[in-house]
Amino acid sequence: MAAVPPDSALRLPLLGAAAATGSRNTRIEDDVVALFDRFRAPLFRYLLTFRVGVPDAEEIVQEVFLALFEHLREGKSRANLQGWIFRVAHNLALKNRQRAQREAPARVDAPVDWSPGPEMQAVEQQRHRRLQAVFRALPEQDQCCLSLRAEGLRYREIADVLGISLGAVANSMERSLARLNRADQYAEAGGRTYVAG
Amino acid sequence: MLPDNPHVPDRDLMLAADGELTPRRAAEVRAHLEACWPCRVREDELQSTIAEYVRFHHRSLDSQMPPAAGPRALLKAQLEDREARLAPGGCIHALIPIAAALLIVGVGSLLVYRGATARRSDELLVPRSSITPGETRAVTISDVCMNTGSEGVRNVPVSLRKKVFEEYGIADARPNAYEVDYLITPELGGADSIRNLWPQPYSAVWNAHVKDALEQRLHTLVCSGQVDLARAQREIATDWIGAYKKYFRTTRPL
Repeated sequence: MAAVPPDSALRLPLLGAAAATGSRNTRIEDDVVALFDRFRAPLFRYLLTFRVGVPDAEEIVQEVFLALFEHLREGKSRANLQGWIFRVAHNLALKNRQRAQREAPARVDAPVDWSPGPEMQAVEQQRHRRLQAVFRALPEQDQCCLSLRAEGLRYREIADVLGISLGAVANSMERSLARLNRADQYAEAGGRTYVAG
Repeated sequence: MLPDNPHVPDRDLMLAADGELTPRRAAEVRAHLEACWPCRVREDELQSTIAEYVRFHHRSLDSQMPPAAGPRALLKAQLEDREARLAPGGCIHALIPIAAALLIVGVGSLLVYRGATARRSDELLVPRSSITPGETRAVTISDVCMNTGSEGVRNVPVSLRKKVFEEYGIADARPNAYEVDYLITPELGGADSIRNLWPQPYSAVWNAHVKDALEQRLHTLVCSGQVDLARAQREIATDWIGAYKKYFRTTRPL
């Protein structure tokens, strides 16, 4: 796999400076592939927490980067491409869900597979199950906020991706963190089964 | 009068950690934390909860992610295709892959004059159908798609590797020169049989790494219902290079 650039914000401005060689579209193509290397894994994880199945997530990621190519080729803004990429992925995931519900209304969304790997120690597995229970009990918007924050998005970017206010993001993060923290303290106090809610 | 709660609320501790407070409030929280041990302990607890969640998030989901090589190659192929169509001299650009193919054919014909070892390497770009026709085991789509490809490379036992080299008349195989590869990958239902194994050179242009990318691509297409499993098995067994060109829309390895 090609080396991942340390920071797309540093990488992308080079595009204009490199005008002397290669076609403009070829340079855009290189940038899109560099951004794919950097953001495929975070996007994929986000789509999985959004209950998109693995094959659909793979297709959505391809669509996002083809759309990014068009976006850059048309000379549109390069500001905050991370937020742009997640917003397009989120909208495509919503469309994917609507299509799936139209085709099979009774279909239940693909459950997120949080099952602990066999390599995990018993204590870790217990912690894993506890976090899983808390995460599953969160409202979907809170799950999205938490997942996007875990992928490094700032509150303003999260608000932009989900189309909600900055205050709603802060409230959601506070709620989620309080529940995670409560579950943590309950486990430390010797509780075996945490009932999320 | 003293306030009811002199400590920093959790929300502000969290916003401070995320760099989301106004500069003025951030300075107030910083000053308070310098003086207040209980708030520092609380801040640590929140940080530790965040760290634990992030570890959980990554570890649980990363294990489900298929390898990136196939999707990356497909994206490059699609971008090149779009670029060729969108460029002002689109028709000329569209001829580039054909020119590349002609170049490959030209270079290929020169290879006829290479030495015996090199010739053998080229011959083995595809297996001999009399020795390796490809063989499958009885699997369903769910069996195939439960496997996300994260199991890694299967090891072929040394005794079986030796037998494969014998069948192909290779007595002097250098270590790491060949991958004894499954013609139909086990991830697509290929069998653990000598009829499904051949020594694929690493040195050739159409090498084992290129075939690995095709295998991942076919697995994704089969599991998303875009390609029938039997068809994927047949295409990879009869002409894997042709299948690569078809599914990556290219005339050369990406």
